[in-house]
Parts: sequence; C-alpha cells; structure tokens
Amino acid sequence: MKLKLVLEILGFVALAVLVAVMPSFVSDFHSREFAIVGMYFIALLGLGVLTGYSGQISLGHGAFMAIGGYTTAILSVDGISGHPVRDIWTIPIAGVVAGLAGLLVGLPALRLSGLYLALITFGIAVSFPQLPKKFGGFLGGTSGQILNLVKAPFGLDLTPNDWMYYLTWGIALVLLAVAWWLLRGPTGRALQAIRDSEVAAASSGINLAFYKTLAFGISAFYAGVAGALYAMASAYVNPDTFPIILSIYLVVGLAVGGLGSLAGLIAGAALIYFLQNHADTVARWVNHLPAVDLNPKQPGISSAIFGAVLILVMLLLPTGAGGLLRKVFRPLTTRLYTRS
Amino acid sequence: MVGVRVLLVCLLAAAVAAAAAGARPNATPGVTANEIHLGSSVPLSGEAAIAGNVARGAEAYFKYVNARGGVNGRRIKFTYLDDGYDPGRAVNNTIRLVQQEQVFAMFSSLGTNNNLAVRKLLNDNKVPQLFVSSGATTFGRDYKKYPWTIGYIPPYSEEGAIFGRYIVKNIKKPKIAILYQDDDYGRDLVSGLRRGLGAKAKSIVARVGYDPTSSDVQPQVTQLKASKANVLMVFAFGKFSLQAFNAVSRLNWKPQIFVNDVSSASALMSIVPQKAANGAISIVFGKDPASSLWKSDKGIRLFQSILKQHGQDITSRDLKDGYFTAGMATAYTMVNTLKKAGRNPTRQSVMNAATHLNEKGNPFVLPGIVIHTTPKSRFPLTQVRLQRWQDNNWRPFGKLISARPR
Amino acid sequence: MAVAAFTWTEFAQQLAAGIREGAIYAGLALALVIIYRSTRVINFAQGELATFTTFIAWSLMNHGLSFWSAFPIVLAIAFTGGVAIERILIRPVENASVLTIVIITLGLALLLNGLMSIIWGGQNRQFHGPFSTRTIDVGGVPISVQDIGIVVTSLALVALLALFFRYTKLGLAMRAAAVNPASSRLVGVRVSWMLALGWGIAAVLGAVAGMMIAPVVFLDPNMMQTILLYAFAAAVLGGLDSPLGAVVGGILLGVTITLLGRYVEFIGSTLKLPAALLLILVLLLVRPGGLFGKVAVRRV
Repeated sequence: MKLKLVLEILGFVALAVLVAVMPSFVSDFHSREFAIVGMYFIALLGLGVLTGYSGQISLGHGAFMAIGGYTTAILSVDGISGHPVRDIWTIPIAGVVAGLAGLLVGLPALRLSGLYLALITFGIAVSFPQLPKKFGGFLGGTSGQILNLVKAPFGLDLTPNDWMYYLTWGIALVLLAVAWWLLRGPTGRALQAIRDSEVAAASSGINLAFYKTLAFGISAFYAGVAGALYAMASAYVNPDTFPIILSIYLVVGLAVGGLGSLAGLIAGAALIYFLQNHADTVARWVNHLPAVDLNPKQPGISSAIFGAVLILVMLLLPTGAGGLLRKVFRPLTTRLYTRS
Repeated sequence: MVGVRVLLVCLLAAAVAAAAAGARPNATPGVTANEIHLGSSVPLSGEAAIAGNVARGAEAYFKYVNARGGVNGRRIKFTYLDDGYDPGRAVNNTIRLVQQEQVFAMFSSLGTNNNLAVRKLLNDNKVPQLFVSSGATTFGRDYKKYPWTIGYIPPYSEEGAIFGRYIVKNIKKPKIAILYQDDDYGRDLVSGLRRGLGAKAKSIVARVGYDPTSSDVQPQVTQLKASKANVLMVFAFGKFSLQAFNAVSRLNWKPQIFVNDVSSASALMSIVPQKAANGAISIVFGKDPASSLWKSDKGIRLFQSILKQHGQDITSRDLKDGYFTAGMATAYTMVNTLKKAGRNPTRQSVMNAATHLNEKGNPFVLPGIVIHTTPKSRFPLTQVRLQRWQDNNWRPFGKLISARPR
Repeated sequence: MAVAAFTWTEFAQQLAAGIREGAIYAGLALALVIIYRSTRVINFAQGELATFTTFIAWSLMNHGLSFWSAFPIVLAIAFTGGVAIERILIRPVENASVLTIVIITLGLALLLNGLMSIIWGGQNRQFHGPFSTRTIDVGGVPISVQDIGIVVTSLALVALLALFFRYTKLGLAMRAAAVNPASSRLVGVRVSWMLALGWGIAAVLGAVAGMMIAPVVFLDPNMMQTILLYAFAAAVLGGLDSPLGAVVGGILLGVTITLLGRYVEFIGSTLKLPAALLLILVLLLVRPGGLFGKVAVRRV
C-alpha cells in the first residue's frame, strides 16, 4: 500500500515538473494545443469520478461544458448588472453553475440505471444546443457570443497561448490533486462500493442518493471549469462550440483512458484532441502501408480514420490506457503481497 | 518553487523571442522569395462537408496557376484545415495557420459563425481575412471596425430584397408563405425579402422556420399550404430544400416558388419532382457546371480541365459540383488580388489590392459581371441575374441586377 | 406575421405525417431493442448501418436493377453484415465493460459514415422507393400513397417478427437465449449464434427503414442521424427490452412530436428534440422501465 502511494505522489510531481517546463521546448502554438488537451483532461477527470467510480454512465457531459462556457461568456461580456467580470474569475463561477446543474440532473438520475441513464444523458447532450437557439436574447442565439480575446494576464510577460497553457494545467493539477484526495478517502470508497454493488453499499449504510448525486455534481463542476477555459481559448461560444459529438468524444476519452484510472485520462484527452485536429498526420502514417494512398482532405477520411482507430483501440485495449498502466505497474505494487 | 521555475522559463522564452524578432525585422509572414502561403478553415467532415469542396476547387486552381509560373514568380502554397463546421475548431485552425504555419493571409474560410469567431483575432493581429465564404452582410458592411476583412458572394439579405422587388413588380395579388432555416442565414433572407417588399410586406401570410436538426420539413410545408398562399419562398439549405419541393408536390400545391441561390444548384433541382420545380425562380451569379447552358462554355471547360489535371481524388460527380466552381471563382479573384499587391506583397498591400478590385472576365461567373470593390464598398460580387427553372434547366432572364446593399 | 389557423384538413395531414414519422422511428427502435435484448448493448451504429445498406440498394438500382430485384439482395447483405459485426466486433469484448462496447459501436458509426462519404460522396441523392408518389383522397384529405405504404410496411414487418418470435422454434430459441443464456445452453440452444442472429435481424430492420424513408428525405450519409435520436427516445419510451414498446413508443413519439411542433408555437421546430426528452424523462420517473419494459427487481 505504501509503495503505491509513493508511486502516485512521485507520478504527480513528475507531471507537475513536465507541465512547468513543457512550453520552453515546444512552439507557441503547441502550448495552445497542450492547453486544450488539459481542458479535455479536466472534463475527463470529472467524468472519471462519475462513471469510473460511481458507475453512472453519462453521455451528456458536453452539456455541462457548454453551461460552463456560456456562463463565462455571459459574465465576461454582459457581466453582472452591466459590469463585465474578468475572465479568470468567471471560471469558478462557471464550475459552480455547472455543478448545480449536475446536481439537478443527478436527482432524477437516481431513478434510472445503466443504459437508460446513458440514453437520457445523451438526450441532454442532444437537446442542450437547442436552448441557446430558442432563448436568443442574452444567450446569443445561433450566432453566439464573442468574448474578449486576448487573455492578457496581469502583467506577466506571457503570450496568450502560454498563459492559457499555464492557467489550464495549473487548474488541472489542482483539480487532479483534489480528485485523487477525494477518491482515496471515504468518498471514494463509498463511490466504488456503489459502483460494485448498490445493494451491498446500501446495506452497509452508505447513503446512495447523497453519493450518487454528489458524483454528478462534482463531475459537472469539473466539466463546467473545462468549458469555461475552452470558451476563453476560443473567444467565441455558440451552439456549435459544444456540439453533440463532444459528449461522445468525452466518453471515448474516458474509455480509452481507462475507467478507474486518473493518469490514463491524460492519454484519453490527448487522443480526443489528436484525432480531431491531426487526422492528416494519421492519414500520412497509414499511407506508409503498402497499396494505401489516402488523401486526408477527402471528405469522410477523418471520420473513417477516427472510427477505425477507436474500434482497434477498444478491441486491443478493452481496459484502456489506465488498464495498461495498471498491468505494467502491477509487479511493482503487488510484489509485496504474495498471498492474494 | 514551481513559480520560480515558471518565471525563469518565461524570461528565457521572452529573451529568445526578442532575439528572434530582432533577427528579421520586417519580414512579411507567409511570403518568401518563391512562395506565398495562404490558409483556410473549411468543413471537410460532418454535415457541411460538401461545402468544403470550395477549398478543393481553389486548391486545384492555385496548382494550375503555379504550373504557369505562379504570381510574380512565386508559387501559391494553400493550406486548408478541417473544422467540421465547429467554430471552436475554426479558431484553433486559424491560430495554427497564423502562428504555426505563418500564413500570409486567411482566404475563403467557410461559414458565417466560423468567420465571425475569428474575425476579431485576425483583425487585432492585422492578418487579412480575405473573400470570406459567407453571405452575411456584416463581412462587407462593418469594415470600419474590421478593416482587414472582406467578403465575396452577394449578401443573403440583398438576395431576399431582389425577390421582394420582383414580386412587387410582377405578381398581382401575392400571398406569400415563407419556409426558412431558423438561423442567421435564413433570417437574413427573410428580412431582405421584407425590405424588398416595402409597403407590400403585409402580403406575407405565413412564415415557418425549421431547425437544421429536423429530419424532414413536410410538416412545415403542410402548415404553409394551409395558409392558402400563392407564393412560396424556399429559404432553405441542401436536403431541406429538396424535401420542401417533395412536400409541395405531394400536397398538390402549385404556388410560385422562389428558391435561394445556395440551394438552387442544377444537381439538386433536377432530382426533385419536376411538377413542383418547373417555374421556380432563383438568382444566379456563377456558372453552374451541371447546367446544359454552360456545357460548351470556355470557362466551364477550363474549370473541368483544371479539376481533372490538378485536383485530388476528383470524381465525375465533382466535375458538376458548383462548390468546386465557386471555389475556383474565388481563387481567380485571389490571384488577381495578389498580382495587384505588387512584386513584394505585404499584408497591407494585399488589403489595398482587395479593396480596389475591378475584375472583368472571371471565367467562372456570369459573363458581364464585374467584381468591383472600393475601401468603402466591400462587396466584390454584387451583380446577379434572375433565372427560371424550366424543362430541367435554369434559364436566366432579364439583365444583370445589382445586389449591392444600399 | 400570421401562422395558419387550425383546420381539420391540415390536422389530419399533420397526424398522417406524424404516424409516418413514427413508423420509421418504430422500425429503428425495434432494431435497437432486439439488439439490446440479446446482447445488452445499445447499438449507436444502427442508423449508419441502415443508411449504408440503403446506399447499397441505391448502387444496385443505379446499375439497372429494379427496386424489388434489389430488395432481397440488400436484405441478405444487411443480414450478413449484422451477423459479421456481432462476430467480429462485439463478441471479442462481450465481457468488457459496457462503456467499451458502446465505444466500439460509436467507432463503427463514425467509420461507416466516413466510408459512405468516401465511396458515394456527400451529395443528396434521389432514391426511387417502391411506393408511388401520388396523392389520394382519404375522406376529403389528400394523403400521399407513400406515407400510407410506409406505415403499412412497418406494421407488416413488425407483425412478421412477432409471429417469428412467437411461433417458430428459432424465434423461441432467440427469446430464450436473451432471457436466460445459461439455461438455454443447457437445453442445446447455441446462444452465441442467437446473439449474432439478433444483430442480423436488426440490420435487416434498419435496411428496410432506410429504404422507405430515403425517397422522402433524400439519401445522403447523414440521413439517419436525427431519426436515430428519435429512435433512441422511442426505444426508451417503450422500454428497452420490449419490442411492443418500441413500436408503440415510436408511433406515439412521432405523432406527439409532430403535433406539438406544429401547434405549440413555443416548441416549434427548435425544441422538438428537447420536448421529446422531457416527455420521456417525466415518464421514466413515473415508470422507470418505460411503458412496457420491466425493471429488474433487486432482491437482497
């Protein structure tokens, strides 16, 4: 047990160091790319708590990101009674608003299980983009809201991309630590108990309603923060900024990252970003195979590649990257336990 | 501890950046001795993927020009990225093209919202946003705030106004029903129509919008028919336009139909029930490669030969796809603009060139159209003709009409 | 601006349109339910599979076959495809987490969508279905023959399936395999092939739905996406493990949503999907298993 703890803390420190020095090795634009990976990572952390730990499937977390993003947009453009709020301060507010929405969803979710819950949350993902279209007014309608651009940090001499990077990963590391700490403790045990057997958990005195709803709220908070950051990075929100497919991508990232693993989620976040934005790179790799000549610009190629990669990854690694990590580190962490 | 490290890294980065900037003081990004680099963000996947063909058409045209020596001795390098019609990705692509790829200018990015999303950041960084693929009036009108932006095709609101004026002049007791896509694109057309109708705007008896997430517009058309209108405006997009004609035919309704340009490609009109399509009126400014009118036209022959020779993965369907032609027309104007920008183009000089256009003889638009801009009038394409669908063909009638916003 | 006032004729036409929409939802929802019952999987690729097989039909007809000559060929291809997908993609991971399998079907959906664009292109196409596009007079209301044909065909298909499941040995074996795989094996049912069979039948259902709706909405790679969403809603509404529920749910949903969209101005076209979601959510709170579904009672 102790060894595992030490490994986890070492891993965290290594990550923090990597985060701190990365921008000096990569171009400015790459910093931005890593920043967006960080945003997906934050959202996946939340989803990991919900699905990986409490076992509730949500196919609608894009909607919580959208709530966070729209909150940031409205607050920083229109502000509170006419006073625009500085973008950084909108982040916690966006998280809280999204978290409250998560609690609201978590309550009726108590009555649903398994795939019913999955489909209802999917329905939320589908329905949510319609709301800003109907309630044009302050939500900006289809043409959306344009935010203040330059994320000028207070006096720090950083490019906007580097600033976004440090802001995002700073928050990500903090939220990662919080999630890890939460999950190590009684909350985490309660959630895992619920995931493994609701009946057994209830008989042990765990308040199902409280913990399940809490999981929704926490995961929505995380998604809201991610959405707020994404809105800042894009300087624009409209219904297409958080489309239906985003909720799907989040679940994909979670599955690829591996349920129950926090570190694997970084791989999941990277995959989501990479497959969306670098389909041409993948096409070029595939073109190395004999008799294959793909044109990445041909409509349909990027979808086909994304789909094929997903299928392959899931067939080869059903437990995701996290599962792989666990297998790799198992000799280290279980060596001391010869009786198991 | 981490904070100190961050600070040190930042100082180092700043020092490096300063040194780099000092090394090449006035270099224009995207222009080298043999190359000009243009960038674009278009949908190549998802629902709007077919519209992305404008970039493929432009790409073929640039390759053609390069094969003939390029512009003032420089080849045009055209990099376009897929945004899946998602503004977030469009922003990411644009930043990547400007910061990473160091393009000279953004060219013909597609989508009203996608272009709105990047307009401020391009203008703040003084990067030209040229010949935007969108008919939203704002791209030509708001130049005071966004001097580095210019549109291309006639604004949708003017199109609506032209229909309105035609109705006032030619239809005696119009009772107008409107089917429109419920977003800025459709609403632009409707408000233009209202303007064109003027005092007769009250002849609009029914107006039903549909959301692009709909699966079929039959219920909407059924509702419109019940209003007993004798004129139907189809301000729709792609398959919804097709479904509208289908529904009109199935309901045995025979109004005078007006269909907007974007949905009026011959390839589309020829697959709807012809009893509904015959007599429909639209506007046109480009040459439709699927129309028999232009089968032997030199411009369209050139279009098809360029696609065959320089296009990638071109199918026989693509040779009749109007999106490719639109892309090529825009590319033609782009090349002219680059020529006008001088032997050593800068971003400022290309903006000047783009706002002082007087292009005649673009082989991919209607004969007689002059692509004309001034710094205060940034609508390059403002001449159209009316056309009527009859016997499987669009037949233009009347003279060139102005679609310039007043 | 005025919206047309209420007339009985228009109401009847909207109702007919709603029933026709619902029949299509029912077809796809039934396919979803059959797969769910046999393999406990939500097949997110159901819509794309249906569109893909419709494209195959289009290709065959483009090469000169008539609709009715192409029809059985397409069904055979669809059936084989469904079985193959279950064997190749689902079987290897049948013991993995639900999430993993969901991702595989999502990946399949993306792959098929991409392939359709690559092979056939994204343009809208005309599809000549089996029904005439004439309109006939039903009690003074003009109704299209196509709409009637779609409803009748869907119901006939459902009836055929019901007969199959109830009165044939194979149907009985499939039902047994779905409800109690362990015991079924004991009596000699080849459970794993029953599962594959389920996927094959579902693919056939999807193909029929696709070929019927394509003449109305025009064929393109994204044709089934919105329809699939409504089919999910219909399946949940009726109860994920109830075939009858899928059909009833589909038609009920089609009619309700069409009428709500037309007569409740606030909902219009924009809020149809959210309205559907809300209705179903409310229903599920009252009946967590949907209209006809069963909720497992957990006995301690």
